[in-house]
Amino acid sequence: MHSGGEDPFGSLGADLSATALALARRFAGGATLWCWAPDAPEHAQHVAVEFVHPVIVGKRSLPAVAVHGDPLAATAQLRPLCRSGDVLIAVGSWSRHREVSPVLLRARSWGVTTIWVGAGERPPVGAADFVLAAEGDGALASYDGRLVLVYHLLWELTHVCFEHPGLLRPDVEGEGPACVTCSDEGRLAEVVSCDTGEVLGRTAAGVETIDTTLVDAVDAGDVVLVHAGMAVTIVDHRR
Amino acid sequence: MTDFLYPFIEADERDAQSLLADLARSAESKAMDSRTLREATLERDAVAIARAAGAMAERLSAGAQLFVFGNGGSATDAAAVASMFRQPPFGRPLPARSLAADTAVITALGNDVGFELVFSRQLIAFAQPIDIAFGLSTSGSSENLLVAFAEARRRGLLTVGTAGFDGGRMAASPDIDHCLVVRSDSVHRIQEAQAALAVALWESVQRELESGRVVAP
Repeated sequence: MHSGGEDPFGSLGADLSATALALARRFAGGATLWCWAPDAPEHAQHVAVEFVHPVIVGKRSLPAVAVHGDPLAATAQLRPLCRSGDVLIAVGSWSRHREVSPVLLRARSWGVTTIWVGAGERPPVGAADFVLAAEGDGALASYDGRLVLVYHLLWELTHVCFEHPGLLRPDVEGEGPACVTCSDEGRLAEVVSCDTGEVLGRTAAGVETIDTTLVDAVDAGDVVLVHAGMAVTIVDHRR
Repeated sequence: MTDFLYPFIEADERDAQSLLADLARSAESKAMDSRTLREATLERDAVAIARAAGAMAERLSAGAQLFVFGNGGSATDAAAVASMFRQPPFGRPLPARSLAADTAVITALGNDVGFELVFSRQLIAFAQPIDIAFGLSTSGSSENLLVAFAEARRRGLLTVGTAGFDGGRMAASPDIDHCLVVRSDSVHRIQEAQAALAVALWESVQRELESGRVVAP
């Protein structure tokens, strides 16, 4: 039995509310929700079916799609599918799948908002735009309903946000953690080609030429931080 | 003056904060509902869980396969149950799989013979009398589950089901040996408690197998 009095779910309520509002805003802007669960694909499918075919009659169907596979396979699927403004939700155990991080990083470089849902160890700060941690740290939370609860609540809260259309306008952004990809300091870009002597990188704004004279040689698939058209550092090498 | 030019800025800023606070409270309250329902279900059904797990363990120790099935979110929960039995976080791996996993089989059967037969036809193809059929439904009345349980019964399988609401048609079905009902009218809370039930069944099966008490039928 749990002890009474204290907050048993930590920051989950506040984390869910900020995530739901951001997700509803993305949906209102035309986003697709990409769902990926490397160690338990059924969670990705469960998230997707919640949004596509709501259990409550009358709630709108929203575009959510499960993708499968290990991090390399998932990245290869997501790269052509994701558009800037989309959302990627990764469900799983961080300690078992640290390699989730490069997938989230690449998605963010494309202008995709990232959400991590899991139990146990939390990802490091900045690994995802939003982090939702289920109660409990046992291996069983993924099976016994505690993890499912988190994305059920995300679905429920997202639909509540749709009852507040004024808050879903693109000009009232601002809640939730700041997104690195959109800040003034620099933008993430994934290198898409460097064959012709000219390096092309994909950012939230599209594909653009990047000057890489300040950094080591880059390969397609690397993620760089771009400021004023210059790559200032290589954030992650191609895997 | 800026309020006149941009009336939504201040108003929306306040409203977002108040909405966020409401959402957080609602999430915490529903999370507590979920936990309470999971705990109450496990407590109320403790004897039924032990009985169902004992019967499952008997068959599994004698070489049974476990077939798990459901629709929609319950199909993904079926996959989770199969995965937990087959590739458990700890304990003995057991042969279990979901009958909702293969889209070629599901769409072929659904298209050619009808969606109410997508699980029963697979039991005809795969199941031996020693095996176990485990169906999950939140309504308790999914037609393709009831048809599958009837087929499983005809073939001598052990039949286990989890339902929600008042148990629906599953609770009254003579084809289900062990029917565990989550008494709630929220599909989401039912699914969460059914997941807890499945873990309790799995834990109990693992304990039975480990104890060596199990006698094959």
